Amino acid sequence: MSRRNEREKGVRKLWYRLWRGRPPGPVLLFLGLLIAFIMGVPLLYVVVRSFSAGADGWMNILDERIPGLLWNTLSLTLMVTVFAVILGVSLAWIVNRTDIPFKKGWQWLLALPLVIPPYIGAAVYIMIFGPVGWASEWWQDGWLERAFGEYPIEIYSFAGVFFVLTLFTFPYVFLISMASLRKMNRNYEEVARSQGMSTARIFWKVNLPFLRPAIGAGVILVSLYVLSDFGAIAILRYTTFAAAIYYQMGSFDNLSATVLSTVLIAITLVVLWLEAKTRKKNVQYHQTSNAYTEPETLRLGKWKIPALLYVFTVFFFSVLVPIIVLVYWTVIGIGEGAIDREFWEYTWNSLRVAGYAAIACMLMAIPIVYLKSRYPSPLTTVIEKLSYAGYALPGVIVALGIIFIFNEHIPWLYNTHYLIAFAFVILFLPQAMQAGEASLSLVSPRMDEAARSLGHPPWKVMVKVILPAIRPGILAGGALVFVSAIKELPATLILRPPGFDTLAVRIWYETNEFFYQYAAPAALVIILISLIPLRFLLKKY
Amino acid sequence: MKLYRWIPAAFLSVAIVGAGCSQEEEAGSGEEAQVEDGESGELVVYSARNETFVDEYLEKYEEDTGIEVHALHADDTAVNRIQEEANNVQADIFISNDVGAMEHLRLDGLLDGYEADNLESIDEDYRAEDDSWVALSARTRVLMYNEDLVNEENVPDSIEELASPEYADQFAITRGANGSMIGHVSALRQEWGDEQTVEWLRDVSDNAGIITDGHGEIRQAVGTGEVEFGLVNNYYYHQQLQEPENNNVSVVYPDQGEDEMGAVLNAAGVGLVADGPNRENAETFMDWALEEENQQMFSNESLEVPINPDVEAVEDAAAIDEYETHDMPLHELGEVWDDTLEVIEASGMDLEVR
Repeated sequence: MSRRNEREKGVRKLWYRLWRGRPPGPVLLFLGLLIAFIMGVPLLYVVVRSFSAGADGWMNILDERIPGLLWNTLSLTLMVTVFAVILGVSLAWIVNRTDIPFKKGWQWLLALPLVIPPYIGAAVYIMIFGPVGWASEWWQDGWLERAFGEYPIEIYSFAGVFFVLTLFTFPYVFLISMASLRKMNRNYEEVARSQGMSTARIFWKVNLPFLRPAIGAGVILVSLYVLSDFGAIAILRYTTFAAAIYYQMGSFDNLSATVLSTVLIAITLVVLWLEAKTRKKNVQYHQTSNAYTEPETLRLGKWKIPALLYVFTVFFFSVLVPIIVLVYWTVIGIGEGAIDREFWEYTWNSLRVAGYAAIACMLMAIPIVYLKSRYPSPLTTVIEKLSYAGYALPGVIVALGIIFIFNEHIPWLYNTHYLIAFAFVILFLPQAMQAGEASLSLVSPRMDEAARSLGHPPWKVMVKVILPAIRPGILAGGALVFVSAIKELPATLILRPPGFDTLAVRIWYETNEFFYQYAAPAALVIILISLIPLRFLLKKY
Repeated sequence: MKLYRWIPAAFLSVAIVGAGCSQEEEAGSGEEAQVEDGESGELVVYSARNETFVDEYLEKYEEDTGIEVHALHADDTAVNRIQEEANNVQADIFISNDVGAMEHLRLDGLLDGYEADNLESIDEDYRAEDDSWVALSARTRVLMYNEDLVNEENVPDSIEELASPEYADQFAITRGANGSMIGHVSALRQEWGDEQTVEWLRDVSDNAGIITDGHGEIRQAVGTGEVEFGLVNNYYYHQQLQEPENNNVSVVYPDQGEDEMGAVLNAAGVGLVADGPNRENAETFMDWALEEENQQMFSNESLEVPINPDVEAVEDAAAIDEYETHDMPLHELGEVWDDTLEVIEASGMDLEVR
């Protein structure tokens, strides 16, 4: 009897030590574990299934497919990431630190490409530079063909994919760099200047090290984007892992698809690990907040025109051109009756699935975020990391996992549009969590304690104190999820039930069939809806 | 700040209304499911055909019968989805471009025999043993070329020649996993044996200038002169002729010589999926599809040639008896479907686009 008591005591002690003396309530813990399970299972399922391919299957695919795919994927990821960082950092620096005309305007104009999904960007540039595009028509009609021979631009190429992806991913780096530059204290630059350093040297020696964390975050966002992108890559007839997985499912070789997925997941983990490793090596740069003065604005002088030209060129290709082209085709499309009853049905479908996902993400983010901030422990870390699974996964893999699980174990939900929303939750929950976390970090734990000491049970504290305080953050997170979901293509494509099309799916189909006038209105609607969270993003960064 | 406050509220309300509506809908479909034994109800169609070829056709069925069609335009994934969903059947009807695919599903027990009205209007060679699928329109594999770029004599007159270095980078083909390509390769295997087929595949995938997902892109690429010629199904040629521009194209029916294999033929048709959720409506569909008026629509929408000789073809389409065709019975493609996929993969030919 006493021995059992002692053992119980021991377990209890361990349990308390795990939570540093303050374990969470059972309901909260259960919710957290449940969510982590839901988020992690599709991923695990894919990996486990891939091992059923057996050694032969693996060797076959490793030999035949992996080398080429690996080269395609890695070279593209590297090139796009490098150039997106160069564009993003240089532009952020110019519009932040120099006396470039229309400075404030550029700061948000250059963030605009963020609302144009790369697959729409790809479609636009095929309309312009493709073999039946405007440029080639103009080339063949004019003297150019006689003078220089055949139309030289090959949009369906590495260069084409590289161009499009860089153009529509650099704003990630731009936004984060802007935020860092804004926070940077003038004192350092002044000290450097007093030492006789030139502007260029100051940029390399002072600004850049400060920007290191921002660049790191940008690298992660851009490279994970390229690794997981399906739409732009497939429309431009290029093949990376994510596209190969989709095609492999197309020939319904699901086993090979899982093997390719496992390799892609491994690559993703390597990217994340590399970034974390380089971050540790760098010394942390701190700034003292008490003596903050705003950095000095640099006079451009004779560089004004080139700088302006540079900024405008990027804006031109990444915002103006796509919008103009889409409006042009939309006008034609409206003339041909593209906006009919079905168009509104697709729009409604898009809004529906994105809406479900946004609500689910908001509800699920709350317990996870609360656990993480108030009850740190190894178990919490596991829950949190699993909730982030979707952050690093391509939609294609998530869809694959969902098909396996629902078709085999929950057949009555299979082939319903709820599964699309479910995929969105896995893919975009991290966005809701980040927004919620930011809000919660502003609420002192003392507020919970004070409420508890007044005799409120934990759930009441949650409802009466915490929720009202973090509501703006949670709602903003929901808006982010909503917008990401509206744009999502591959998971929607794979999981849509018969008769259920969304705007993203229509853009994909019409572009592939060269019916630009039908793709353009849908693309414009998606872009307009995506403007919703931009304000929030600009505020946050 | 104000903006950012009302916007989440706005989309939240949209989403909530959405949830409400969909619940009503769900309830509605539940009721429909109960009266399904009656006249109306729904029909789930998986189609591997180009969406534009079947849209109006399915709309006509809806109008004629009052049955609501839910179509999944899934390209070649339709076959595999039906396979994958065998334990949880979703589809009632399968519309295919390829006899091999339909026969393959039948051999796996995934299609169910049904004696439709007017079945005899289709020759036995073009139906399943148990009539679970019926082919309705024929398609021939041809080489379509751009007349501005090449003369007829510079286009290969046999499929084998596509592997010759002479034609490097001048032509377009589809990826290996395209349904029509699988059918074609199956025929080549029967004619040449596996070894030669693999070698041919390897050379051709190196030789091709473009490898596309489907034939629509090839049609465009040949029409605009991106490549000189491409391997397509014959109706893509007829389609390109109807384009307002970039239509200066012509066609070569390959392998027409005395001892040669003849052009490879395939057919599109409809099959009845076993254990589908709306069996009665599926049978209605099969009966409807075999009405001659609807047979004609099925082939006309894609400019293919009707299998039933009594049904009039569209003007541009060449009749089947005007050229030599490969003599392998089409349904034999079904047995070799999986093997053919393996052969294609073993050859290292891209299953993807390039």
